[in-house]
Amino acid sequence: MPTVSVKWQKELYPAVEIDTTQPPYVFKCQLYDLTGVPPERQKIMMKGHGLLKDDSDWSKLGVKEGQKIMMMGTADEIVKAPEKGPVFMEDLPEEEQAVAVGHSAGLFNLGNTCYMNSTMQCLHSVPELKSALIDYPQAGRSGDLDQSSHLLTVATRDLFSELDKNVKPVAPMQFWMVLRKKYPQFGQLHNGSFMQQDAEECWTQILYTLSQALRSPNSSVNHDTVKELFGIDLVSRVHCAESGEDSSETESIYALKCHISHEVNHLHEGLKHGLKSELEKASPSLGRSAVYVKDSRINGLPKYLTIQFVRFFWKRESNQKAKILRKVDYPLELDIFDLCSDDLRKKLEAPRQKLRDEDGRKAGLKLKEKKSASVDNDVKMSDAEPSNASEESSKATPVEGLASDKNEQLTGVYDLVAVLTHKGRSADSGHYVAWVKQENGKWIQFDDDNPIPQKEEDITKLSGGGDWHMAYICMYKARTIAM
Amino acid sequence: MDPEQNNNVKNNGAAAANGSVKAPTKDPKNKKDDKKDEDLSEEDLELKQQLELYVERVQDVDQSLQKVALESMRQEIRTSTSSMTSVPKPLKFLRPHYGTLKSFYETMPESDMKKLLADILSVLALTMSAEGERESLKYRLLGSEGDIGSWGHEYVRNLAGEIAQEYSKRVNEESPVNEIIELVEQIVAFHMKHNAEPEAVDLLMEVEYLDLLAKHVDKANYRRTCLYLTSSARYLAGPDDISVLEIAYAIYTKFEEYPRALQIALYLDNMQHVKQIFTSCPDLLRKKQFCYILARQGVSFELDEEMCSDDEDREVLQEIINNTKLSEGFLTLARDIEVMEPKSPEDIYKAHLLDGRASAGASVDSARQNLAATFVNAFVNAGFGQDKLMTVPAEAASGGSSGNWLFKNKEHGKASAAASLGMIDLWDVDAGLAQLDKYFHSNDNHVISGALLGVGIVNCGIRNDCDPALALLADYLDKEDSSIRIGAITGLGLAYAGTQNEQIRDKLTPILGDPKAPLDVIAFTAVALGLVYVGSCNEEVAQAIIFALMDRSESDLGEPLTRLLPLGLGLLYLGKQDSVEATAEVSKTFNEKIRKYCDMTLLSCAYAGTGNVLKVQHFLGQCAQHLEKGETFQGPAVLGIAMVAMAEELGLDMAIRSLEHLLQYGEQNIRKAVPLALGLLCVSNPKVHVMDTLSRLSHDADTEVAMAAVISLGLIGAGTNNARIAGMLRNLSSYYYKEASLLFCVRVAQGFVHMGKGLLTIAPYHSERFLLSPTSLAGLVVLLHACLDMKAIILGKYHYVLYFVVLAMQPRMLLTVDENLKPLSVPVRVGQAVDVVGQAGRPKTITGFQTHSTPVLLAAGDRAELATEKYIPLSPILEGFVILKENPDYREEA
Repeated sequence: MPTVSVKWQKELYPAVEIDTTQPPYVFKCQLYDLTGVPPERQKIMMKGHGLLKDDSDWSKLGVKEGQKIMMMGTADEIVKAPEKGPVFMEDLPEEEQAVAVGHSAGLFNLGNTCYMNSTMQCLHSVPELKSALIDYPQAGRSGDLDQSSHLLTVATRDLFSELDKNVKPVAPMQFWMVLRKKYPQFGQLHNGSFMQQDAEECWTQILYTLSQALRSPNSSVNHDTVKELFGIDLVSRVHCAESGEDSSETESIYALKCHISHEVNHLHEGLKHGLKSELEKASPSLGRSAVYVKDSRINGLPKYLTIQFVRFFWKRESNQKAKILRKVDYPLELDIFDLCSDDLRKKLEAPRQKLRDEDGRKAGLKLKEKKSASVDNDVKMSDAEPSNASEESSKATPVEGLASDKNEQLTGVYDLVAVLTHKGRSADSGHYVAWVKQENGKWIQFDDDNPIPQKEEDITKLSGGGDWHMAYICMYKARTIAM
Repeated sequence: MDPEQNNNVKNNGAAAANGSVKAPTKDPKNKKDDKKDEDLSEEDLELKQQLELYVERVQDVDQSLQKVALESMRQEIRTSTSSMTSVPKPLKFLRPHYGTLKSFYETMPESDMKKLLADILSVLALTMSAEGERESLKYRLLGSEGDIGSWGHEYVRNLAGEIAQEYSKRVNEESPVNEIIELVEQIVAFHMKHNAEPEAVDLLMEVEYLDLLAKHVDKANYRRTCLYLTSSARYLAGPDDISVLEIAYAIYTKFEEYPRALQIALYLDNMQHVKQIFTSCPDLLRKKQFCYILARQGVSFELDEEMCSDDEDREVLQEIINNTKLSEGFLTLARDIEVMEPKSPEDIYKAHLLDGRASAGASVDSARQNLAATFVNAFVNAGFGQDKLMTVPAEAASGGSSGNWLFKNKEHGKASAAASLGMIDLWDVDAGLAQLDKYFHSNDNHVISGALLGVGIVNCGIRNDCDPALALLADYLDKEDSSIRIGAITGLGLAYAGTQNEQIRDKLTPILGDPKAPLDVIAFTAVALGLVYVGSCNEEVAQAIIFALMDRSESDLGEPLTRLLPLGLGLLYLGKQDSVEATAEVSKTFNEKIRKYCDMTLLSCAYAGTGNVLKVQHFLGQCAQHLEKGETFQGPAVLGIAMVAMAEELGLDMAIRSLEHLLQYGEQNIRKAVPLALGLLCVSNPKVHVMDTLSRLSHDADTEVAMAAVISLGLIGAGTNNARIAGMLRNLSSYYYKEASLLFCVRVAQGFVHMGKGLLTIAPYHSERFLLSPTSLAGLVVLLHACLDMKAIILGKYHYVLYFVVLAMQPRMLLTVDENLKPLSVPVRVGQAVDVVGQAGRPKTITGFQTHSTPVLLAAGDRAELATEKYIPLSPILEGFVILKENPDYREEA
């Protein structure tokens, strides 16, 4: 009976006797006692013999005294595949991949259609508009709506759902055709190809069409979705210095204009500028035309505040819309309280107070968490540190947006959600790009078919002053508070 | 030579005719010179007149006067000393009389006097002889054969130069060279005595008589002589290089400098020599050191009784050769550097440094990204035996919601995941096999395949008497499922690379001839055989692969994997130069679809690591052709440039520049191979300019070029943790975040850079860049050839080809051990190596060094030296495992 040493993993069993009269299986059982590895899982290796088989003959193997034998095998549980295998992104249908990717698809450029693509990407970021469009009936249309407007609305709806479903870029063919049909000016050709257009014009026209189409059919309540979402009520005092005439008028517009003059360095200044205008009209009292000063104030706030930077002006000598490259800063968080009329201000008082309290509380909570925070920090926090506040609100907004609770009150504070930028020297040339904040708070630059993630701090760098992309239209979303 | 001095001379018709008066004698100048003549100091004037007198006397009829004059003239010349920059005065003053003396010499009758004059003429010719006349030598041979050194060093050097010219002339004319050789012997003896070993070696090489060297080396000069011999061997054409190294080997063994001799033996791949070293060295401890050197080279070597008579000792030695303690040593290093903590792929990606672009919504697993994570995890934790994905305790894994990482991989991805266990437990066969065991019983073929491959990986470079890899894998070679077969075949190839194990051959060759075997199985079999028989020129294996290639159908030949067949064939001849010729001839009969490809592959492998400039030119020539579509042979040609030129630094730099040109003028199939070639040239050696080139290429418009560049960034930084490359790759990961294929490459490259947490190297060169490990190079070459068609192989379902890099993985450490082979910490200086070949005195061998205590990491181009006198290292090259012996002469400072 030779004695051998068996090596198993890191252990060495120096003296194991082999009963050469018994089949190797007996030896394996011996090892089972030592190691706890069941015989059928044991693999025994000897120099020059390969694996020891259960039916081999010891005498033929020529085991020597003191020979080293290696045993492999574990008593470990055999790995089993989990019942439900993981789902891989590569296997998912496209619409689910879109969710995983975290942003919607890009739009192919169909030949100078970047103005349209970027407009649609910006509008696409308004969930309320999307839901309103979903409710839009395919066939039933209000009698006063013309066929092409209807088709455009349907096409918009379809395009939005396409964007949500896909990861790969979408070609907005149908929409593009319908848009040209409705507004032939977008179908202008130059040298056999479509011309670049002004995105602002496209934006206005589409919103106009949608506002026509998305009126509530029951005319009892004049329910205008688009107006509710984007409409800004202005009350203006028209004053003539010469005659001392003073009148008041109201109007509803879809976008505030930010006029850019030499004094304007900041959005706020431009807006103030835009709300003041001089106009010449016939004065009934003077019997001739006189200069009137129109001083407007906001009387009703929308859920989505659209601001257009008036960057283009008609340059007679070059016969094109030239661009003002001046840098105009805009904030991620916009407070337009001081542009509001007195009535509105009163209404806003209470919600704003509450918002401040809320912010203070959040900051306070944070302070409690970080006890080491210095007093310095404290001051900053209560000053509503812009980035901090906007982050929180961005987390909160989706929920609020979905719940169209009547109790949600506007506060006059707005958060930036989309920027449409232009790069180039005139409105009909260059390149339009949309920068849109996604529901998860990330910013995506939609450069036609190519969505590129961006950092939030880079968004405010689109304020102009060079040849880089500069903001042309900004869309702010209202920060609301439950009362 | 001062031309103005020439003009002093009054009678110089002969000298002028001799043509050595270089400055034209102008009349107006003469006046000034006359004045100058008077400027000579009195002493000089006297000397001059004296010499002139001697010249006259020499021509005297009176023999005794002649003799006296000659003797005195010799005396004057010999005693004169001068600085390096000016001609000694006696020579200067005698110059005008050179012609006179020469013509007088012709008229002299044979006598001692004539010989004496010949000696003097020989010396004078040093400054006077016209270019190419070799008069110094001529008169030397005519003169008396006195002590050559008595005329000074400069004279000997000049003579040596003339001998070289004369010798080649005589060989051409087939005239006798005996007398020259006699002279050579004198000169060599003189040089060797006077610290001019390089000159002696040069002269002997010129006259092709290096054997003479052995007579003249002694304890004082053999090191410098051999250093010069071995370094010059790199630049010699075969077969001279071999003979030079043989002489160096002989000298080293003569002086019992065995480790160096062993290195040369390994360089020559001469096992006979290795054996001889073992038998002639009596010291067991030194033998152990030899075993460590053999283990690093990765050769399989069986000790017999002749080499070590004691059984137990032999077992210990064999264990060292078998690398069984490599894992232990590596872990010692890791513990010392404190990097035992396992790292997860996220620790490598460092996504938090890339704000804004952090992968959005990681709610869904991406199979490709998980596979990338599998590889990163495997490479980063290679050899540490623990990680955060695969080896986490079972309870934690099953209990956690994440489940087993293995099953987070898809289909063939599971094979790579299972095999990654082998990588994590690299070199630790016992632990690795225990970890892999449970996967053998899986019901998923991919998992089994991966486990088989893992067995191969864990055994890579380690040999074991029980042959666990063969025992375990052999049964799976004939399984139905081809993924299992490939796993087993590749596993065997990795585990037995370089062993020339006949059992493996007998098991694998039948597969090549199996008509039913699918192409991928055959391709991997060819590679596995190529690895096992790397550089062996084994004809049977070559035949088998050739037949397999001939049997392929036309459509098979177009498949991307077919490229592995010629590669397997090429590996058989790795570095074996001319031995490939017969096979290369056969390859010319192949189907034209693969003929050129095969030719390039064979040639590149055969001349790999030789630095053969002609072959590099040949490959460049191939790349200059503009091809019809569909030809792919330029890929291996570009790799061939790198494989051949990687041998030495100069050629390497030239190759890098040539590759830049290819990049500019080459077509797509060349451009995509260029980054890979750059990667091979600087593997694990992140040179900044190559890094920049690759960084530029990684943004190339052509995806394949970009992918190759990304992988190569990983290769040049492999195992270095280089922060700059890591930063580049991090930026690339955000740049390519949307392109799954490129992102996969970026991840793999990140895994490479942090390989073994920065403790590993994949450079095939080691031992101060002298030795090339054939298995390491083979592993890299297989990987690079696979990268030539990234889409079909690495991005397809054969991603486990990436594991071939395991063949090249080695700890980049210096671990000093005591006489019982236990780690011993001593202070060492580590710095940039300095080339000291041919330098006088005892120059510093490292620069910019820092003092550490072992174990210590060595970067590319680093050299270490002991900072204490207390121990004597048994190997002159401090790399890998080095045994230290206590210095008996050491006295502790009070």
